[in-house]
Amino acid sequence: MIMIIEVVKIIVLPLIALIIGIFLMGLARMITARIHWRYGPPITQPLIDMVKFFDQRGISHGFIFDFGIILSLAGSIVLVLFIPFCKIAPLSNSGGLLVILYLMLITPLGIALSSGASGNPNASIGISRKFMLALGYEVPFILIILTIMKSYNSLSLIDIVNVQQAGTWSIISSLPLFLTGVAYFLILPAILGVRPFDMTTAPQEISSGPKVEYSGKYLALLSIEHALTLYIGLTLFVNLFLGGSANFILFFIKILIVFIIGLFINAVFPRFRIEQALKYLWGIPTLLALAGLILTMII
Amino acid sequence: MDRNKISKWLKGPAKMGHKYSLSAIYFCTGCGIIEVPPVITARWDAERFGVIPVASPRQANLFLITGYVSLKTLKAIIRTYEQMPDPKYVVGFGSCPINGGMYWDSYNTIKHLDKYIPVDGWIAGCMPRPEAIFIGVTHLWTLIDKDMAKGYVKYREKYESYRKNQEQILGKLEWKPLYPIRRRK
Repeated sequence: MIMIIEVVKIIVLPLIALIIGIFLMGLARMITARIHWRYGPPITQPLIDMVKFFDQRGISHGFIFDFGIILSLAGSIVLVLFIPFCKIAPLSNSGGLLVILYLMLITPLGIALSSGASGNPNASIGISRKFMLALGYEVPFILIILTIMKSYNSLSLIDIVNVQQAGTWSIISSLPLFLTGVAYFLILPAILGVRPFDMTTAPQEISSGPKVEYSGKYLALLSIEHALTLYIGLTLFVNLFLGGSANFILFFIKILIVFIIGLFINAVFPRFRIEQALKYLWGIPTLLALAGLILTMII
Repeated sequence: MDRNKISKWLKGPAKMGHKYSLSAIYFCTGCGIIEVPPVITARWDAERFGVIPVASPRQANLFLITGYVSLKTLKAIIRTYEQMPDPKYVVGFGSCPINGGMYWDSYNTIKHLDKYIPVDGWIAGCMPRPEAIFIGVTHLWTLIDKDMAKGYVKYREKYESYRKNQEQILGKLEWKPLYPIRRRK
């Protein structure tokens, strides 16, 4: 019986993640429109787009093109299973933060493989930017993860969430964790790939970068993957710093608040160039994360 | 969403998807492109109709031919059109693609665009106002609803004659035919 419940959880969790991700995408387009003082699309617009993409004729560019996109989607789905959502956490006991750190690289890698096989120069520029950006945010991200591991003496996300449930949220529990939380929030747009850091998929410069050759069903898979990426970045933040939640509604509200604050930044800021992004990411966020790590080690 | 719409969604979700999610390719084919930025930005906001500009023809299903078509542009237009995935709609914008407009006696512009690629709808005027694009879009919705926006099917069926017209005006084309050409005995 327990076995069956576990299997059901493994099937249901990616679906929940997908629904939340698509909802957030629709909300993003709606709120951005309101900030620009226009009416904006209906909240179901990403879903309508996805229905259209699935009906269109997709054009393949060989085996690696098909394989890479499935690899990145599989990476995202597995990553979803490792992050606890309320009480549903099918694989969180077996992995922990180290596995999450590794799995986070599979998604960009799969897209790189796939769009590299299309042979479009715009796609290769986009991929090189994506990896440089990943280099930028991985450094503070690893420092942040180290700080959390050290201060809770645990690798398991479930333990960290439980400690926070018993006490206070980690972002307000101590000074080093507060610094770390701020650093994570500052690099969150880079992890999600939204506006100040969307030089990877800049439509005006490199005709939407890696996804330039995607059409039809491939584009649908890509937008599913984008929805999952949004979900992963936000739930990781909520679980690590805002104490997760046993209650679904409370958890969702926390995700929503973090996302909407990020959205305000997304709606008003212009795009960084790649070297400006690296300068930013290796500047204040890295220093904050480093300060947090050193303080945790001393105290 | 009214009840009528829900039954339509249940009957044919794909068709409604094509109808309410038009990705227009952002490709400057003529002077009419100057009307497109106000349409897609905050002043006239095309996104509330589901029209959004995309950068690559692979992701697009709506092609706006904005303004006059010179010989070189025609070449690019044909290549872009052939790269778009299959349910695709072409709208001629302005009077130049309809019948030449003010370039009616020019030696290097195309007078009738629909001899070279199938066009699903026209928006007349020089220049049409941005509101005219929205009227065009709502007309296109009606056409899609009634299965009348079948330009891409027509292109597939009558590809030989379209290709013949293209070769007549552009000389030998350096790309392969999109569909197999049947030789007549």
